[in-house]
Amino acid sequence: MTFNIGRRQFLMGSSALVAASAIGGPALAQDKRMRLAWWGGQARADRTDAVSKLYAAAHPGVTFDTWWNAFNDYWPKLGTEVAGGNAADVYQMDYRYLVEYANRGAIAPLDEYVGKGLDLGDFDQDQQDGGKVDGKLYAISLGANSVSMMVNTQAFKDAGVDAPTRDWSYDDYKAHAEAFNAKSNGMRLMADGSGNEPGLENWLRQRGKALYTDGKIGWDADDLTEWFKMWADLRAAQVCVTPEDQALDATAAIDTTMITLGKAATSFANSNQLIAFQAVNKAPLDMVNFPRAKAGSGGGHYRKPSQFWSVNPKSAMLADAVDFVSFFVNDLGAGAALGVERGIPCAKHVRDAIAPTLDAQSQIALNFVSNLGDLQGKLPPVPPAKAGEVSTQLTTKAQEVAFGASTPEDAGAAFAKEAADILART
Amino acid sequence: MTARSLADANMAPAGGRAVVPSTWSRIWSANGPGYLFLLPWFIGFFGLTVGPIVTSLYLSFTNFDLLTDPEWVGASNYVRMFTADPKFAQSMRVTFMFVIFSVPLKLAFALAIALLLNRGMRGLPIYRAIFYLPSLLGASVAIAVLWRTLFAGDGVINDFLATFGIQGPSWISNPRFSLWTLILLAVWQFGSPMIIFLAGLRQIPQDMYEAASLEGASKWRVFWKITLPLLTPVVFFNSIIQVIEGFKSFTPAFIISGGTGNPINSTLFYTLYLYQEAFAFFRMGYASALAWVLLIVVALFTGFSFLTSRFWVHYDE
Repeated sequence: MTFNIGRRQFLMGSSALVAASAIGGPALAQDKRMRLAWWGGQARADRTDAVSKLYAAAHPGVTFDTWWNAFNDYWPKLGTEVAGGNAADVYQMDYRYLVEYANRGAIAPLDEYVGKGLDLGDFDQDQQDGGKVDGKLYAISLGANSVSMMVNTQAFKDAGVDAPTRDWSYDDYKAHAEAFNAKSNGMRLMADGSGNEPGLENWLRQRGKALYTDGKIGWDADDLTEWFKMWADLRAAQVCVTPEDQALDATAAIDTTMITLGKAATSFANSNQLIAFQAVNKAPLDMVNFPRAKAGSGGGHYRKPSQFWSVNPKSAMLADAVDFVSFFVNDLGAGAALGVERGIPCAKHVRDAIAPTLDAQSQIALNFVSNLGDLQGKLPPVPPAKAGEVSTQLTTKAQEVAFGASTPEDAGAAFAKEAADILART
Repeated sequence: MTARSLADANMAPAGGRAVVPSTWSRIWSANGPGYLFLLPWFIGFFGLTVGPIVTSLYLSFTNFDLLTDPEWVGASNYVRMFTADPKFAQSMRVTFMFVIFSVPLKLAFALAIALLLNRGMRGLPIYRAIFYLPSLLGASVAIAVLWRTLFAGDGVINDFLATFGIQGPSWISNPRFSLWTLILLAVWQFGSPMIIFLAGLRQIPQDMYEAASLEGASKWRVFWKITLPLLTPVVFFNSIIQVIEGFKSFTPAFIISGGTGNPINSTLFYTLYLYQEAFAFFRMGYASALAWVLLIVVALFTGFSFLTSRFWVHYDE
């Protein structure tokens, strides 16, 4: 008997719960819960959360639900969420994935909001264009950056060799190697960049080529052979690190780069990463452009949108999501909280407001990106969808040459074919 | 109300009713409550195991990138795998190398330690625990990271070698040695087969050893003629489990190569390649096909082991 009553009570209790949640649903919905997702580290999370708090304070009733991950782990999770139809309202987008997501309708076109909720009044035109696919605006740049070499200034001082300048070509690095190695205790002048896709792109652009044009490769086997040969030469002359050392840096994660491991005095990186690099390097760091292909050649660099906010077209609160994005890139308080951690702010009034308040490293990054001069060329078109896979294959191919499993000639021809195959594959 | 009548049906003894119950209600009253209790398991089994397996079989015949609907492509994923995918061939090669070397070495090591521990020494539980410890830590990220540090160019292993004047390579990042460091890592985690061997050794009747020692048999001979033959069922069990685990091995290669399988794809385990295709390049269809090929390979291996087992496994009967 008591058992029956207990069960009845249980049933009544649970139906009450169901009823309560049914009533509670709409009541809760009046509080707007905005979901955000991005890749990055703790420093980025702290800054992003600070902006969310500012926004929530200015918009009573809005709360935030966020997740973030390292770059490589971010995409599987985001892809799974998008496939499941439960992705965040606003999520971070990369130049490399922009076309893929836009073509599949996984990010919302924002043109109709410009000037009506999305303020792009003094937003850099090149950064606006960087977020466009087929003429439609799909993504709002969170900062401009450029590729750059991280430079361990202490190592150059200790070796009594001048640090690289903006005029240095690969030949200049080579010319300084002997003097550097004489006193460097095994540290080499530079990381091995032969498998570094941005390094290759920069070098190709200086030679008037491109990594991709119209979704196809913008170079041929001879270019790649020459690239691999140049690095074989630098390797033989002990300008760059050994293949074994370079292979320790499997994913270009900051803590395994050659400069962080103390194997090289300069490493290939991005300008906005100086803050993160300095956090794990004891020696004071500076930055300089990627080496010139030959003396006086320029145009390799460009102001790349380092990352974007995109809005989920299935978001239940699309207008609010757009409003948040606009706040993120325009509000001065938000700008102060974000600094240049995601790159140089694209809205002029924000840039002007924060410039005097930046710390030394942020100043270096800001100055570098603002003064590219003859190093700067046009923003290349958004890379094709399979660009990430081609980049992975370049690393493997470069290792084959470095470890002597292939010659520059064979590797150049093989990579040209493999890259074309990857791009052609569905 | 519903709950009450349900309870009545459940609790009524079979045949305690005036009307002859229908077949369905007879079956229900005999087994129904049992199935009701099994229901959570059924939901889990069909929803979380059978469902995904069937779905992955379907997906293996499609192109599916997570963002758009799967597109039926027939057997072309499988065709590509066997005709036009050097990375598939490479990952198979790496995985077979890994299984062929790590499993026998690991089992031999596990058996040797089990024999050592089986001599009735004091403090056996402590030793057993210590030797088992690596297996507990086995698949963990921390150990793979530790391995990376140990076998790097300026790692502990090379510091040790340097005391003998040997300049070791960077084991982990040299394509000639990188796979071997992973094999070594697998062998080091010999704990669970060791425990099973130890249990097997305990079951060998002591009178056989007594008889052998009366006959004056050497220790070597005792091992080959008594211990090993009587232990073959355990060897059989261990080898099947370890082969399957070997094929499934993922974490160490993922951590040590940062998920790339490099240098020069020398640590591109099959599962790592599968993961790359699925989650780095978003080809879920192709990855599903890869998964089914792995399943078939493992099934063939296991089936082959069972077929040959009657020639070398001796059950004590």
